[in-house]
Amino acid sequence: MLADLVQNTLDGLAAGSAYALLAVGFTLIFGVLRRVNLCYGPAIMLGCYAATFVHLSFGAGLLVLALVCVLASVLAGGYVERLCFAPHRKGSGIAAMVASFALWMQLEEVAILALPKHLYPFPALYDGKPIDLAGFTIRVEALVMLGAASVVCAALWWVLYRTRFGIAARAVIDSPLAAELSGISVPRVSMGVFALASAIGGLAGFLVSASFEQVTPMLGMWSTFKGLLAMMLGGLGSLPGAVAGALVLGLVEAHSQWFLGPQLRDLLAFLMLFMLLAIGPRWMTTR
Amino acid sequence: MVKAALVVTHALALALLVPGPALAQRALAELACTPTKTDFIYDCVIHLTRGGQALTGARITVGADMPSMPMAHNVRPVEATPGKIPGEYQAMLDLEMPGEWAVKLRLAGPVRDQLILLYDFDDKGAHPVTRSGRPHRK
Amino acid sequence: MDDYAVGVLTNIGLFGFLAISAYLLLLAGEMSFGQQAFFGVGAYSGGMLTAMGGWPLPLAVVAAMLLGALAALMVALPTLRLRGLYFAMATLAAAEMARIGFELLHWQVELEGEQTGPDGTQGFRGIRWVLENGIEPGAYLAIIWLVLAMVVGVVIALERTRLGATLRGVGEDPELAAALGVDVTRFKLGVAAAAGALAALGGVLYAHHNTYVEPRNFDIMLGVHSLAYALIGGLGTVFGPLLGVLVDIGLLEGSRVFQGYRMIVFGGLVALLLVFRPRGLLDERTVIWLRRRLSSLTPWR
Repeated sequence: MLADLVQNTLDGLAAGSAYALLAVGFTLIFGVLRRVNLCYGPAIMLGCYAATFVHLSFGAGLLVLALVCVLASVLAGGYVERLCFAPHRKGSGIAAMVASFALWMQLEEVAILALPKHLYPFPALYDGKPIDLAGFTIRVEALVMLGAASVVCAALWWVLYRTRFGIAARAVIDSPLAAELSGISVPRVSMGVFALASAIGGLAGFLVSASFEQVTPMLGMWSTFKGLLAMMLGGLGSLPGAVAGALVLGLVEAHSQWFLGPQLRDLLAFLMLFMLLAIGPRWMTTR
Repeated sequence: MVKAALVVTHALALALLVPGPALAQRALAELACTPTKTDFIYDCVIHLTRGGQALTGARITVGADMPSMPMAHNVRPVEATPGKIPGEYQAMLDLEMPGEWAVKLRLAGPVRDQLILLYDFDDKGAHPVTRSGRPHRK
Repeated sequence: MDDYAVGVLTNIGLFGFLAISAYLLLLAGEMSFGQQAFFGVGAYSGGMLTAMGGWPLPLAVVAAMLLGALAALMVALPTLRLRGLYFAMATLAAAEMARIGFELLHWQVELEGEQTGPDGTQGFRGIRWVLENGIEPGAYLAIIWLVLAMVVGVVIALERTRLGATLRGVGEDPELAAALGVDVTRFKLGVAAAAGALAALGGVLYAHHNTYVEPRNFDIMLGVHSLAYALIGGLGTVFGPLLGVLVDIGLLEGSRVFQGYRMIVFGGLVALLLVFRPRGLLDERTVIWLRRRLSSLTPWR
């Protein structure tokens, strides 16, 4: 029993790291734009599909694929930003979000048309056997995921607190109006943060695809749900919260899947979010 | 008390559902499709049986919808033509995209019925779908 | 009318209920990602009542609508006080819980030697009331559109009353509405219940048209589509969401030009259109303009 708990915790933390990257991306975009980008997942999926295409056509190595994935995600993200968020910056939030899920539908179809099969193999992140530590199975992919998430978080912290761009970004996140008055170009900063978020998402997508050794058309929806769930669990708009929410999500999922099965696992995750929102803290309810 | 209620409900259900003799035995169908040169057009053969025997002389209208995106696709319904063997019918199905489709067979003629068959269409043809207990996302 | 036209028009009609359901909530200032759940509640409950309980369809429709309203209230009661985005996420969570609920629902009874009823992910086959009562697709189409027309009529009538003005007022400026004495939360609960009932109405009609439903039918794509239709068609009139459905399923899907690329075109169209018309094609300004034109043509009104 204890062994199961520990194993589940390890697995949960690994999954949580992937969710953390996704949630951080969502939060960055929400921070500067005050809007949820519902096309974040599909853009990442396009990145992974581009990497798959390169893999199938040229048999490139993992590093190249990672680069392709990140770059393609950034490009796709840029397209979304220009079409859905830049035009509505001063206007309607609803229009921006509806536009973002219109593009979600669009990008999903692009992906299905480009690579029509249900499943594409993706090169494995690690080809060997999992590590056996004191009777617990630790997948090397899980360690890579945890490591990558930690590195990204550290790098993000450095960017936000030690670079001029980061200071400008934090200013915009704090108060776009004040930032604008201080002479910061809010559109430029927004674009930059969007690109950063897309890059992080692309990395997450690459790691997930390589971990599972497959790419499917479900990746877009999956990334969107997990990232949104994690972000909301951790408190919308908070980066440390996003990471915490993601880890909690991963842990709850791992344990509930073990004891209750995959359907109840998902049900529990959504129930958690719903309860949190229903009972929620004050700052969620002030209109 | 509960048992009585169940018995009454079952009786009521049976009473209200007494169909005409035509519907008393359900028809069963199987689909075998091969892709054609044109993208997403499939040459399909339908095997129709009823009570274990081939069902001939039925007028079948074949339509399709996608379970994952209901009402969003308008596949042009086609009338199946009788095939060489009794109980066999042929139809060309023009689907817009590969994936899982719920093929709808509307039967007129000796039997009036509507059958829904779940098949997964890809570049190799149609494969019957059996849903497992797993939800459809990771 | 040929089979194809009947099919397309049936789909447009059925989706219309969902689109109007989303539209009502949008008017009240709320974005719901969850109307598909109530569509599903209507489909499953209506189907179970007719296929397993032997109820006649009209009774099942009424019951389904009531259940849809109830389900909507269950979701809205704890969440309406939430700010827009949080409410949207809550509806998303609730809808997914409902869908998983349908996946877990196994309840079958034996009728005429056949197992009838929802069977989890295998779906719910055998919703054959329409078939068994000899209603041809053409006749069923007429029924669907008749009901839709009644709904549209009711909404139009209500929009002209103070209720309609209150609805838009609550959506545009809730603080002002509250200051004018409207119990905003109570009002929005009413709208949520009505929207839920409407979605359920569409659902029960859909289930009986298809004779088969499964949990996968009611996933987020359905809800996202209905929101898109409502917003692109326009929030100025109840014909807006219907126009949205028409543009996608009627125009784009009907014209085989875009075969296989329909979503790409429609998605891009929506995003582009929203840049210039954030409230849709038939937005409030356009509707007012249209009304003025129409009244100038008919000076006796």
